Amino acid sequence: MKLKLIIALALGAATTAAMAGEVEDQIRFRQSAYSFLGWNTAKIKAQAADHPETFNKDQVIAAANAVAAVANSGLLSLYGPGTDKGTGWKATRLKPEFFEKQDEVKEIEATFIKEANELQKVAANGDPAEVKAQFGKVGATCKSCHDLIRVRE
Amino acid sequence: MKVEVHIWDWPLRLFHWLLVIAVVGAYATGKLGGNLTDWHARFGSLILGLLVFRLIWGFIGTTHARFTSFFPTFSRLVEYVKGEWQGVGHNPAGAIAIIALLAVLSVLTVTGLFANDDIAFEGPLFHAIDKELSDKLSGWHIFAVNILLGLVAVHVTAVVLYQRLKKTNLVGAMLTGKKQLPRSLAPSPIKPVGPFRFVITLLIAVTVVWGVWSGGFVEYLAPLASFQSASANPKS
Repeated sequence: MKLKLIIALALGAATTAAMAGEVEDQIRFRQSAYSFLGWNTAKIKAQAADHPETFNKDQVIAAANAVAAVANSGLLSLYGPGTDKGTGWKATRLKPEFFEKQDEVKEIEATFIKEANELQKVAANGDPAEVKAQFGKVGATCKSCHDLIRVRE
Repeated sequence: MKVEVHIWDWPLRLFHWLLVIAVVGAYATGKLGGNLTDWHARFGSLILGLLVFRLIWGFIGTTHARFTSFFPTFSRLVEYVKGEWQGVGHNPAGAIAIIALLAVLSVLTVTGLFANDDIAFEGPLFHAIDKELSDKLSGWHIFAVNILLGLVAVHVTAVVLYQRLKKTNLVGAMLTGKKQLPRSLAPSPIKPVGPFRFVITLLIAVTVVWGVWSGGFVEYLAPLASFQSASANPKS
């Protein structure tokens, strides 16, 4: 009897821990994805927009490939129930309303994928001005999501 | 019996309309994002320069441009509420709106200098502070926009009401600098703008904007940043 209770408690604790881990994993994975994304967008911004004299075609292609890879990686699967609260690498800034705004969120993701794929194509042509213009469109999709479901500090 | 009197000097009027253009531009580009963010920074810089100009002009400009001439002191407000206030420049209620507008625009400009959008924008002074503080200031920047919109709505509504109810053309006055005033107030027209004062004020405003972008201020503020990161990681 006592043993059964201990097992039940232990199982309960294990399940909770596993679930918490899952939520925390999702938050950490998506935060890492955006961090990696930021490294690559910063490169494109620096080389195509701010200092076109430093434009390095190969680096920009590599960065645009990475941006497209992140966009196409199915990021929305990292936004499971309960992931509006969690510590992650740092406290998540996902608004609880995220879960009620699924149509808009999915539309933004589709636009993000479309523009990131286009950026990848444009980068292959190696024209800084073209890259800059398309990079702006990608940035606008980032902003549309931030404005919609990201908590302002 | 009314007389037309020159009240607003031309730098003040130029300030006002440039500010209108810059604020509308900054708001629109801020909302749209993308590559227009570059223009958001440019409009913001123009606002910074205009605010510095206005602040100095508020002390050395012509009579009605000076803060002391229209500052809503307690006694002026009491007079105004009783309906006894008499003056030719900004009335005390308008003065509150103007000071509030200048204050919230200052908050927006200063926070914008340190802001980032986690996409592709970093304000010219971003590197002078910690990312965490920049994130916080960026949040305030966005929040302050709501206050600005409220104040602009009050300001524009008041101007429209003056036109409709009191038949006072405030827009015209801000364009021509001239107001129709009762002769009983016996206002004397303002003195001409001193070219030396104007040039000095303009130079200071341009220098501040240039300084912000030159990176000089970042260097000046750098000890602040290292102090912050040192206190954030006491072990390092």
